[in-house]
Amino acid sequence: MRLNFLKNKFLLLIIVILVIFFLNSYREGFYQKKIKNFFYSFSLPIQENFWRAGIKISDFFKTISDISNLKKENEELKLKKQELLSRVSELENLKNENESLRSALGLGLEKEFNLVIARVISKDISEDVIEINKGAKDGISKDSPVITGQKILIGKISEVYDNFSKVMLISNKNSSFSAKISGSEVSGAVKGKGNFNIFFDLVSKEEEIILEETIVSSVLGGVFPEGLLVGKIKEVKKSDIETFQQAEISPFLNINDLDQLFIIVDF
Amino acid sequence: MIKNLFILIIILYILFIFQTSFLVHFPIKGWVLNFVLIVTILFNILEVPEKNNGILAAAILGFFWDIFSENFIGYHVLILVFSALLIKTILVRYVRIKIFERV
Repeated sequence: MRLNFLKNKFLLLIIVILVIFFLNSYREGFYQKKIKNFFYSFSLPIQENFWRAGIKISDFFKTISDISNLKKENEELKLKKQELLSRVSELENLKNENESLRSALGLGLEKEFNLVIARVISKDISEDVIEINKGAKDGISKDSPVITGQKILIGKISEVYDNFSKVMLISNKNSSFSAKISGSEVSGAVKGKGNFNIFFDLVSKEEEIILEETIVSSVLGGVFPEGLLVGKIKEVKKSDIETFQQAEISPFLNINDLDQLFIIVDF
Repeated sequence: MIKNLFILIIILYILFIFQTSFLVHFPIKGWVLNFVLIVTILFNILEVPEKNNGILAAAILGFFWDIFSENFIGYHVLILVFSALLIKTILVRYVRIKIFERV
C-alpha cells in the first residue's frame, strides 16, 4: 500500500518534470512567454486594485506611527528648506551662466529623455523585481532605465512581454552599476543586496566618503544616464584587508512610493 | 472533483495576487511574510498523508509563483512539489500521531 503511494507520487513528479522540460525547451520558451503574458493580462485589474489598496492602508498605518515624530520632523524640514532655498538661488545663477556659455559655444541644449509612463502592478516574492503594465507594444525594450517623477533611479527592464515588463530594482542582488558622489569625482559601483538594500563598492581608499552625501548614477558603465538619484551614504566601511572601501547606502527607492514610473526609452 | 479543483485554483490564485500586490507593502523588519510557503507546508502537514490535495496545491502555488517571478515555469513547481512529497513521505513512514489523521 505504502509502496504504491510512493510509486504514484514518483510518477507524478516525473510527469511534472517532463512538462516543464517541454515548456522551456520548445522554441526557446515560446509557450512560457505566452502563458505568462496571458496571466498578466488576466490579472492586471485585480493586481492594480490590490497594489493601490496596499499603498493606502500602509500609508494610513505609517501616518499613525509617525505622529509622534511629526513635530521634530517639521522643524528639521523648515531648517532644510532654508538651506535648500539658498542653494536653489545659487544653482539658478549657475544655470543662467551655464546656458549663456552653451549658447556662446554653440553646443545647443542637451537631448531630453524619451519617456514612457507606466504603473506598478506587483512585486516578486523572492526577488527585488516589480512588474509594470507596459511592454513591447508600448516601445519598451530590455535594459531601459526606470525612474520616478523625481528622477530617482528605480532599476532597469529585465524582461519584456507584449503588454507587461519586469523591472529589476537597483536593490536586486544581480544589479550593479557605476555611480558617483554628487558634486565630487569620487566614483564606484552601486550593488544590490536584496530586500531594498544597496551599498557603494569599489571606492578607492584614498577617497573620503562623508555621511549623508548623495549618490547619483554615472554614465561610465553605459547602463544609466548621468545624474539619476540613488541614495544617501548611511555608513562607511573601511578595512585594512580590503583593497577598496565600501559604504552602506540609504536608498531613495521606497516600495510604498512606487505607483507611477517612467521608462527612459532613449537617452 | 473538478468543481473542487476549480475552487482550489481560484482561492490559491487570489492568495497569490494578494501576496504579490498587497502584502509587499507590509514588511516586518524588511521581510515580507511568505504565505505561499506557509500554506503549502500547513496544507501538507494537516492533510491525511495518503491524500494528494496537498501536492496538487503545492504544484498550483508553484505554478503561480513561476508565472509572477523571473524564473522559468517549473522552477518553483518542482521545489514546492518536492517539499510536499518530502512532508508526505515523512508523515507516512515515520509519524504515527493521530492528530494528522483527522482532516
